[in-house]
Amino acid sequence: MEIELATNLAGLAISIIIGRFAYAGYAAVGSPNLLRLTLAFISISAGFVLIATALFAGPAFSGAMNTSGLAAQAVGYFFIAMSHGLKSSSDFVPSRHGAALLLVPLTTAPFIIPGNSIEHLVRSISFILLVYVSIETMASYMQTRKNSTLMIGSGLGTLAAAEIVAWYGFIFPGTFAIPALAAKVAGFGLMFVPFSRLGLGRMEKVDGV
Amino acid sequence: MTGYRTHISIIADILDTAREYSYEGHDRGATVTHLIRRANVPHGRLSSLVSELKASGLLQELPEESKYRISEKGMEFLKSYQQFKGFAEGFGLRV
Repeated sequence: MEIELATNLAGLAISIIIGRFAYAGYAAVGSPNLLRLTLAFISISAGFVLIATALFAGPAFSGAMNTSGLAAQAVGYFFIAMSHGLKSSSDFVPSRHGAALLLVPLTTAPFIIPGNSIEHLVRSISFILLVYVSIETMASYMQTRKNSTLMIGSGLGTLAAAEIVAWYGFIFPGTFAIPALAAKVAGFGLMFVPFSRLGLGRMEKVDGV
Repeated sequence: MTGYRTHISIIADILDTAREYSYEGHDRGATVTHLIRRANVPHGRLSSLVSELKASGLLQELPEESKYRISEKGMEFLKSYQQFKGFAEGFGLRV
């Protein structure tokens, strides 16, 4: 339990810092993409809080709180996927029909979503969204060749791997819980690396636009 | 990155042009032609963007010559834009 708590708290700290930075960016330049990233990391942080709290809850509430936390994180991944979907729609198709592209990541869902548990379902949706987002981020890396994009794309891919490992743990219960959690925090850690170079101290607000 | 440009990136292009003509040996400010050429937007749209930037204090109009200079607040905005552009590009997105 101590290991699970520590890894969840590490994930919480990283996602709060990234979310705080995204909010500072939204406050400074008013970009809708930065607002979506802020909402994404607020949801992911809330998910970590719920999952950590579930460790102390009684057996009656533990499962429900854990599933709620995973669902909150899936919502966070959806906001990141939505930003990529909107970017793709503005790049490749007329904007009037572009919103339909937002549904593309979910079209694969019926093929891999199991129907026997809500937690299975949430993890499957998270996996699909994370695979989509990591592929889009890697595609951006192929264009820009920026190391920060590579790190974040790898981090998102590691998060997707963590989800599939955790999902596989349903077949052999308990076996993969800690490796999945460790992979999840490693994914957030990879996403955090570029921030050490961006300068977290400078978060001034410029009003007006 | 190429392709679709966001509203914020067009504003940043306008402010960057005004900055070049305000501080780098061209201290007389940027003309509308300079701004149109760099921002690559029609005159009508540029006028509304320039009005918006003047109203929010990011751009200053020189009274006699119809030229534009970037303000201190505009410089802060550009600095923030560059910083958070890198952040968004890390996620494969645009500011």
